[in-house]
Amino acid sequence: MATRALLAVVTASPPRMIQIKASTFSSSLKFQRHITTIARSFSSDTNPSVLQPPDVSRLAETARISLTPSEIEECGAKIRQVIDWFGQLQQVDVSSVEPAIRAEMEGGNLREDAPETFENRESIRASIPSFDEVYLKVPKVLNKE
Amino acid sequence: MPSTAASRILEHYRPPFDATAVKKIKEMGGIVVGKTNMDEFGMGSTTEASAFQVTANPWDLTRVPGGSSGGSAAAVAARQCMVSLGSDTGGSVRQPASFCGVVGLKPTYGRVSRFGLMAYASSLDVIGCFGSTVADAGMLLHAVSGYDRFDSTSSKQDVPEFDTQFLSMDSFESKPLKGVRVGLIRETLEEGVDSGVRSATQEAASHLEALGCVVTEVSLPSFSLGLPAYYVIASSESSSNLSRYDGVRYGNQVMADELNKLYECSRGQGFGGEVKMRILMGTYALSAGYYDAYYKRAQQVRTLIRKDFKAALDHNDILISPAAPSAAYKIGEKKDDPLAMYAGDIMTVNVNLAGLPAIVLPCGLVEGGPSGLPVGLQMIGAAFDEEKLLKVGHIFEQTLKGSGFVPPTLPNVA
Repeated sequence: MATRALLAVVTASPPRMIQIKASTFSSSLKFQRHITTIARSFSSDTNPSVLQPPDVSRLAETARISLTPSEIEECGAKIRQVIDWFGQLQQVDVSSVEPAIRAEMEGGNLREDAPETFENRESIRASIPSFDEVYLKVPKVLNKE
Repeated sequence: MPSTAASRILEHYRPPFDATAVKKIKEMGGIVVGKTNMDEFGMGSTTEASAFQVTANPWDLTRVPGGSSGGSAAAVAARQCMVSLGSDTGGSVRQPASFCGVVGLKPTYGRVSRFGLMAYASSLDVIGCFGSTVADAGMLLHAVSGYDRFDSTSSKQDVPEFDTQFLSMDSFESKPLKGVRVGLIRETLEEGVDSGVRSATQEAASHLEALGCVVTEVSLPSFSLGLPAYYVIASSESSSNLSRYDGVRYGNQVMADELNKLYECSRGQGFGGEVKMRILMGTYALSAGYYDAYYKRAQQVRTLIRKDFKAALDHNDILISPAAPSAAYKIGEKKDDPLAMYAGDIMTVNVNLAGLPAIVLPCGLVEGGPSGLPVGLQMIGAAFDEEKLLKVGHIFEQTLKGSGFVPPTLPNVA
């Protein structure tokens, strides 16, 4: 029997799109933010020879995508080919070059963090695959390492 | 109206709100005729990666319309609608415009709000316009441009009157573009570019000279680095942006007895092959220990590319290049070779990395298909200088003798 769980999966990308505020739903439903894949190390000067070739099964697990064995093989070959090709970036002299997050932009166009009620809640509810008045239903979460 | 991003994972999805660009069009009385086909989530250059169907090029039904906004380009080429919207992350409006013989306009990053655009790569995505003439594309751009409080990357820069500057040909002087400095990007005419495309581009440069432009060659030394840098950045950002498609709040859900399995199966079955590949490449590039080697490095290359463009545009009003190394190729030709397909983006990705505006307009035909295949000229401008691009593009188009660029598959079209 499916247990209820509260969740939202969210991106780590820079803020730019409206997020449906939690207060538009009943107060007993909270969205919890949970970073899925990105773990960054800030080691400087990563030695290219230390970079392991992609382990497609492990990546698929991290990205929460199931692949069939034939997909792993096919996808794997293509991915390795493209990642090899990315390797040419290692030859570029980027010492003392600032990374550009995006094209030059005027900054700080943030609006006030004030909740607004969204007028079309019904349509949002209608899209939810498993909805049980107030809760989004999902199966249980197993404790994995 | 259903919105699927051409993906099974959103097969029955109906969004609860309109994108700002669409809202603006409706407010101005625009009639939304329908939605068009595309490569799934914007990932592709041929529209073959759609989960639903392959779109044919109106110039030759055995060839691709380009991508990822191939459906929007084909719809305008086939005169199914007057104008259409697409998205351009690495050339996805400009390349299909070239393949389909229509005008494709990519605005400056921040010119058009991205609110309601399903994100692929947030630092590169823009909404672009297709039309059968420069004036039509310009009018559509004017309708959708402007600051939007729902998009913190949208610009507060004034939106000039893009829609009213299109003079009729009778009022042109003999050298209507006198003094306009045009830089032809040397690296775009090297090996790997079809000879037909090269000659069409050279002829376009001569045409500009006849109109009074001063055309010189410019070099962008970092040019060839744009392609791998683009694909690192785009796959990395997309791996993050597409993590929201998990089958929980919307979209197709594959039920499972455990939550991670639900995610894995919903995404595994909902996403197509190219999408899965790019997410995995992005996951790899952003993994612990790899961020510096790939993503950060690609961002640094982005800085180099921006500098090169800025230097070139300090001495030129616009830069020109082909829009793609070839005209439209056959359906199925590049499907299994990712690097061959990516190589076709060489002319367009740098512009996205630099955030600049660009327009592609048909400039000639090369051999192929029943009546030849169109080839587009790309014009690149300084940031927020769409006005100049539209002015030059309009005059170029109106004075180009010969074809009106109407596909042969159309019966009687004016």
